[in-house]
Amino acid sequence: MSLFLTDAPVIASRQVARAMWVVSLVAPEIAATVKAGQFVNLGLSPGPLLRRPFSVYRAIGDQIEVLLQDVGTGTAQLLAMGETKSVSCLGPLGHGFEITPGLRTAVLVSGGLGVAPMPLAARDARAAGLQVAWVHGARSAHDLCSESDGDSVIMATDDGTAGFAGTAVAAAPDAELVIACGPNPMLGAVAARWPEAQVALETYMGCGTGVCLGCAVPLRRGGYDRACTEGPVYRAADVDWGALPSHLHYAASA
Amino acid sequence: MAASGTFGYGTEVPLLDRRALAAVISKGIFLKPRQGTAPPRIAETPSGMLNAIGLQGPGADVLIRDYAPQWAAWDFPVLVNINGESVSDYGELTARLDGVPGVAGFEINISCPNVEQGGMYFGNDPSAAAAVTEAVRRRTRLPVWVKLTPMVADIGVIARAVESAGADALSAVNTFVGMSMDINAYRPRLSFRTGGLSGPAIRPLAVHLAHQAARAVDIPVIGVGGIMRAEDALEFLIAGCTAVQVGTATFVNPNAIAAVHDGIAAYIATKGFASLAELPRYLPRD
Repeated sequence: MSLFLTDAPVIASRQVARAMWVVSLVAPEIAATVKAGQFVNLGLSPGPLLRRPFSVYRAIGDQIEVLLQDVGTGTAQLLAMGETKSVSCLGPLGHGFEITPGLRTAVLVSGGLGVAPMPLAARDARAAGLQVAWVHGARSAHDLCSESDGDSVIMATDDGTAGFAGTAVAAAPDAELVIACGPNPMLGAVAARWPEAQVALETYMGCGTGVCLGCAVPLRRGGYDRACTEGPVYRAADVDWGALPSHLHYAASA
Repeated sequence: MAASGTFGYGTEVPLLDRRALAAVISKGIFLKPRQGTAPPRIAETPSGMLNAIGLQGPGADVLIRDYAPQWAAWDFPVLVNINGESVSDYGELTARLDGVPGVAGFEINISCPNVEQGGMYFGNDPSAAAAVTEAVRRRTRLPVWVKLTPMVADIGVIARAVESAGADALSAVNTFVGMSMDINAYRPRLSFRTGGLSGPAIRPLAVHLAHQAARAVDIPVIGVGGIMRAEDALEFLIAGCTAVQVGTATFVNPNAIAAVHDGIAAYIATKGFASLAELPRYLPRD
């Protein structure tokens, strides 16, 4: 697998939900090679010490897009950047979704920021000849990502202010291929309904390249592996969901 | 050189221009496989990071089978960072690895609790640190380095103790023990509660301790602690170190070691020194 480290100019950003933005970066090699479910590790200088991982949202020409939420100083800084600045971009990293040809239907189930890998997943699933159902859930209508890509599109909100009243998992139809991304408790619910689902999960991450062992994912068979290297995509039934931290608190002090 | 725990077993880090490597120190290893600690294992702090990985590793047998054969083919040495819960553990691990092609030497991690002595850390006690060093020294003629912990009252005492016990060099220093609280969950950010602090946050502390160690002994001291750039490495070298290890910087930039290496070379050339050996060292022997 090829890996690239590049200074990627930030050329555009657009708001897609109440606190959710898509940022476009020029990173030609990554744009040409990234698979759905892979991520890039972005670093700012000056900025936080460690890079931050972002699923690649879309790849268009020589650009990649990442989805981000205003969760910490790093992401706030990225959003505040003018369009003349660059970020250090390392990627593509991790193992993406395995989209086997010969299947007929796929359902992409996302919660909140978990929509991040779905446009690429829709692209790759369509390219493999699958019919794609897009199911996206959020707390409230304002939090739903305004962009979607599916042959059928279902929105769900916890408070019922838009679409299905309830979770994305509850709203989703069955399909031969289930791909999911969202908060870890949501992915635990995915695992209960579809043990064979492919889920992209989020952990705290140090290096992104497999050496720091900081992004440990507890496995049902015992032990840990690395979200950055063996993941971030897992067979839902393989993860010990009870031992995976359910919420990530990015400290404002970092 | 690459600091232990930040470079895996040398096979993982992509992109690095490997001509910059004088040596690699492997991820710390015990005799037996270890799963490591539960997540969260890392937490970023101002200019640094806390980690509590728990020395996850495959154990000596897998290291010998899977990694050492690869090391044997490389043109830079790989030293194995060794760990144990008792003096005899360290000795047994050394005996197992000594003579294995690809194993070029040992770096003893003395920041481990001594289970036989009620969990007291080897590195905090001059006699325990010396006992571990002797146990390793007796079982190998390869280079034996000792990685010193900063969590001591007088690092010079420990440095002299392990020098007398047969250490060939010292790595100074390991991470500082720290803690950070999650103010929303009302508990530590790391599942292990405490972690080792690394990164630029510890650099002035590490320069000071490396300097104190260098003043205490005649063997080489290898500086380590928060080196991100060549200028940082030069601080350790001027403070009396013979070489440096780069650690956390590799997490940020996989090619950091090469950047540090090339920056030192450029500095030496700019200053008009023929080699690094001509760099003035600040080592008053008062």
